[in-house]
Amino acid sequence: MSPLATVRDAALVVVLSAVLALGVNAVRKDGIPLVATEPYDIFVPCPEPSGEIFELAPGEIDWGDDRELVIDARMPAEFEEWHAAGARNVPFDFLDPVADETIEELVKTRSRRVVVYGDGQNPDTGEELASELSGRGMRNVHFVPGGAPALRGEVAP
Amino acid sequence: MSGVLTWRGHSWIALPARVYLAVVFLLACYFKILDPGAFALDVATYQILPLSLINLQALILPWVELLAGLMLLLGLRTRPAALLVSGMMVMFLVALTIALAQGLDMGCGCFANEGGDDPISWHTLVRDGIWLALSLYVLIFDRRPLGLDRLLERKTRES
Repeated sequence: MSPLATVRDAALVVVLSAVLALGVNAVRKDGIPLVATEPYDIFVPCPEPSGEIFELAPGEIDWGDDRELVIDARMPAEFEEWHAAGARNVPFDFLDPVADETIEELVKTRSRRVVVYGDGQNPDTGEELASELSGRGMRNVHFVPGGAPALRGEVAP
Repeated sequence: MSGVLTWRGHSWIALPARVYLAVVFLLACYFKILDPGAFALDVATYQILPLSLINLQALILPWVELLAGLMLLLGLRTRPAALLVSGMMVMFLVALTIALAQGLDMGCGCFANEGGDDPISWHTLVRDGIWLALSLYVLIFDRRPLGLDRLLERKTRES
């Protein structure tokens, strides 16, 4: 078969496919309009910064060390109800990134190690926040698997 | 060099490649034909085509996949079918590369099976690259060792 005949036959298949596609679409009940009138409501998450993080069991946290920065990723109401001693509240929002000013404040603490805990759900806000902080330049960021419930002893760490 | 190109074994190596690609494309078109609306959303997610072309693409492409897949499976006009598959693979590779370069976190929509698609990644790109290489191999080396083309050719000769 010559290259020209190959291209011609391929073009014929495309034409036949178009005829079949439009014909079937015309007769089926759930056919779609040939030209969309409204833009499609697509949701593609923007690329988020994420970096290397490490797991840290509740028993491994050095509560007496001033250079250890403990962050509570839960909502302020939950933070008020209970939080680990010395923890800062940086609520994690799945849609809004942490404010640049907050990141700057956290970096200024020059902590040796950053420990984040969240709600312990799946996905865990603590793990998500830890990943974001690490992705935005903080070093040696850890998260507590099981989050606040694990720290409170409600769930075995 | 010409000896390598004219080696008869190519034809038999191209046969399983042809059948494999046929199965891939027949599987790929199934859900797309069943639910063109969902596939149109997949096409729109790539954010490459203008709105006016999204539905047409979503309607016609799966039927090209179906016909090309059937032709490869049956060995009917194998080269035009391989040419179509190669063209589609190039198109998919370009779309994937653009989406990956933009950092889009999305399913590839390759098989359009209601969220069952894995997110796009460089692995998807490599996989599609392999499929493109296979389709080019079939396009260049298939000598119709088995299939309707050979049967039709024999009948024509006999008559």
